Amino acid sequence: MNYIGEHLLPGELGRIATYIAFASALAGAYSFFRVQQSGRGDLLSLGRWAFRIHGLSVFALVGLLFYLLFRHYFEYDYVWNHSSLDLPLRYIFSAFWEGQEGSFILWTIWHVVLGWVLMRSAKDWEAPVMAVVCLVQVFLVSMVLGIHPFGLRIGSSPFVLIRELPENVGLPWTQLTDYLERIPAFMDGEGLNPLLQNYWMTIHPPVTFLGFASTLIPFAFAVAGLWTRRYNEWLKPALPWAFFSVMILGTGILMGGAWAYEALSFGGFWAWDPVENSSLVAWLVVVGAAHLLLIHKNKGSTLKSSFLLSILGFLLILYSTFLTRSGILGDSSVHAFVDLGLNGQLLIYLLFFAVLSLGMLLWHYRRLPGTVQQDEVWSREFWMFIGSLTLLASAFQIAFTTSIPVWNSLFGPEGWLKWMGSDLAPPLDVVQHYNSFQVPFALVISLLMASGQFLRYKKTDRARFFRQLSGSMVLTVLLGGVLIYVFSFHEQPILAALLLTSLFSIIANSEYAIRVLKGKVRKTGASIAHVGFGLVLLGALISNGKKEVISENQRFIAKDFPQNENILMDLGDTLRMGDYLVTWTGERREGNYRYYDVDYLQWVDGVLTKQFQLAPSILMNEQMGNSPEPSTQHSLLQDVYTHVTYAPIEDPVIDSDGYTSEARAELELKESAFLDESMILLDSIETHADVSEDGQILAELRAHLVVAHIDGNTYFPKPGFRLEGEEIFYMDTIIEEAGLKFRFEKILEEEHFEIKGWRKAEDEKPFIVMKAILFPMINLLWIGSVLIAVGSILAVVERIRMSRS
Amino acid sequence: MSRNHLIALVLIAVSIGAIFSTLGDASTYVTFAEAEQDPGQVYTVIGTLDTSQGMHYAARENLFTFHALDKNGMSREVLYAQPKPQDFERAEEVTMKGYSKEGHFYAEEILMKCPSKYNGDEEIGASEADRIYYE
Repeated sequence: MNYIGEHLLPGELGRIATYIAFASALAGAYSFFRVQQSGRGDLLSLGRWAFRIHGLSVFALVGLLFYLLFRHYFEYDYVWNHSSLDLPLRYIFSAFWEGQEGSFILWTIWHVVLGWVLMRSAKDWEAPVMAVVCLVQVFLVSMVLGIHPFGLRIGSSPFVLIRELPENVGLPWTQLTDYLERIPAFMDGEGLNPLLQNYWMTIHPPVTFLGFASTLIPFAFAVAGLWTRRYNEWLKPALPWAFFSVMILGTGILMGGAWAYEALSFGGFWAWDPVENSSLVAWLVVVGAAHLLLIHKNKGSTLKSSFLLSILGFLLILYSTFLTRSGILGDSSVHAFVDLGLNGQLLIYLLFFAVLSLGMLLWHYRRLPGTVQQDEVWSREFWMFIGSLTLLASAFQIAFTTSIPVWNSLFGPEGWLKWMGSDLAPPLDVVQHYNSFQVPFALVISLLMASGQFLRYKKTDRARFFRQLSGSMVLTVLLGGVLIYVFSFHEQPILAALLLTSLFSIIANSEYAIRVLKGKVRKTGASIAHVGFGLVLLGALISNGKKEVISENQRFIAKDFPQNENILMDLGDTLRMGDYLVTWTGERREGNYRYYDVDYLQWVDGVLTKQFQLAPSILMNEQMGNSPEPSTQHSLLQDVYTHVTYAPIEDPVIDSDGYTSEARAELELKESAFLDESMILLDSIETHADVSEDGQILAELRAHLVVAHIDGNTYFPKPGFRLEGEEIFYMDTIIEEAGLKFRFEKILEEEHFEIKGWRKAEDEKPFIVMKAILFPMINLLWIGSVLIAVGSILAVVERIRMSRS
Repeated sequence: MSRNHLIALVLIAVSIGAIFSTLGDASTYVTFAEAEQDPGQVYTVIGTLDTSQGMHYAARENLFTFHALDKNGMSREVLYAQPKPQDFERAEEVTMKGYSKEGHFYAEEILMKCPSKYNGDEEIGASEADRIYYE
């Protein structure tokens, strides 16, 4: 059958490119394996050519998918689902990696790029390392193969036509040759989720996926080290890559935090959400691994733990992929996941590499040279080792809690082993739960960061060590005391301690960079990165620990009910929030956005002066729902974060009497309830029943209500209804002076009665409900993030330079 | 015992501590009936919207009320002192953290799961397509 208007060629080419990419990765893995295993040097160029072809076909595949998106070929499922005609061109990248298939491809591209670098730089490690890289590519490309051999489903291709989707095959419309012209749904795509239409979505995923990809290299070197039994030699070439991974993955995670803070309405930069957690866990382990490699380079010890953590870093990325893409997190994450039905394949992917690498480590474990003498306590390597273990423990704690849904599916009542009587739910107070462990871990880490560089490898002169640190200590206590006083941390001793230790790491590392290294930029990478991490800790501690919701609502709803953090503002009203007087001045509509202009005022010399204006907005989208976007006033010492949590968007429904805002309540006799702005009590029910001449049952019921209105008056409406056989006639009560209307709607089961109420439409004043939060010192966090990246880059460059000389 | 063994022991102790504190902090998913046996105690209930009953957000009271069905099909009025979440009507599943009191469930936190746009709207597209075909 020939369909009219379809563009099949690019899709066919895309599929062919996918198959070539898969086959050439397989050929590459085989060739590199043979080179290593049987010393067939002649196969090396075959392996290289296979990987080059693999890379080119991945790029072809990317180009073709972009072409489909660019030309709006909506007969393709991926294009239809992730883009639309009105999608601005600048979001075409976001559309590309919005879907699972696109993001797998993005990940694959980075492996290709890193693989190319490795082929040029890995020298005698090329064959074993590239064999591992190719094997990983085989699995990754299989995720987008989209073939169905023997009833199995392998991968999901972005080049599938909508009419070819399993759920559509055989449907009558797929028999229409001109379906693209006949069916309006194909004229335009679904579009990109409006939450993702911002520049963060353009830059965050590539950085994060490069971070994911970067963990492969230390892993590949570790596996290659075991395989070739050159146990002590793989660490040196892996070292710069490990710090590269620290830098790029860390940047990716912090960018995610910045995105959440700037553009999403989480009310902060970190929510301990499983998606964030699972990348953080991998990062912590990679940081640990990088430091262990460093110890080994200088001291020759920590070989076994270097193997373990280098391997774990990549396995945790695979685990994170499994968690976030298999839909297993369903109940515990705010992120929406699309389950592509590839769980089995993802699990095989994870288990294959876990069994392969950890199995090899176990197999070779006895042969690994151990440390002859114990580390000296007063040595840098000992405390770096302790630091790495602390990072591992911290990662373990986060991973264990994040994995609760996994424990449920393994041991829960509907799980595999059925050990537990009921499913576990995540902790009720997630932040408190994580903090109880992570704050002490952070304390240890920051203390080690502060002092680590002042310790020497092998043996340190204790007196000299304390003498060198004494200046920083004094400065820390002085400045820390001021900060503790200003931000009143004195009642939270553990947080105050963390404030001191993170400040100590900032000051001590700055001092080390300036005084000991004499500011030689090349050498200061570690110090700068440590200052950065200290700033991140300090910024997170102050901005989160001392954030202040200034939009508090003092209304009493019920005992123990949480104080409301949202405030209702009528148009033009001025309300006090913290040190500000705040006015909502109006609504603007631009495109799909509705902006709510909010002025923040303060008294300056007796004159009420506008300090700044914020414009939190709501992005209107019929298909995917409306989403609020916050607006933040950034200033040096604190941010004022504002977002609209509710705004009446639909025009109110007004009935023929001119009443609106329907509200309902179910009441027993003598029971009372809130109904919109009134408290109503059902005092009694009055009934009259009769039988008409033609045998119909006639009944009239009236509800005697006592209404305590917000205006302070009490009213006694008696709404009722008449039943004439099957028909019902309402006799509503209108109280003109209060602008209220009541209806006795019906009798429910178990002596419950339903009452409805409306209020007069003119009374509907425009309002918004908003939330405003002060985040003090959050800039420390962003400055710290930048410094971590800068410091790590310097460290990578220095490591590369040193390994060359 | 060497220092390395001591370190290993400390690490294992911390890990076990993490496991037990997680198991201790973890809550369980309950039904409304179970939550009502212990009024005031905070639980997590997973349910669906009871669409046979209305929902109402009294903005001026800042109180959102709706009815939810738990997994046993029991319906309860849920009070939530926060603005109505965006697109609450679309929620397929509602996870409510809160406590029962006097026949109501006071939710402190609500997570909702919306139908993924893959399934939801595509079906609309297909059925629309079928309708056009039969016409």
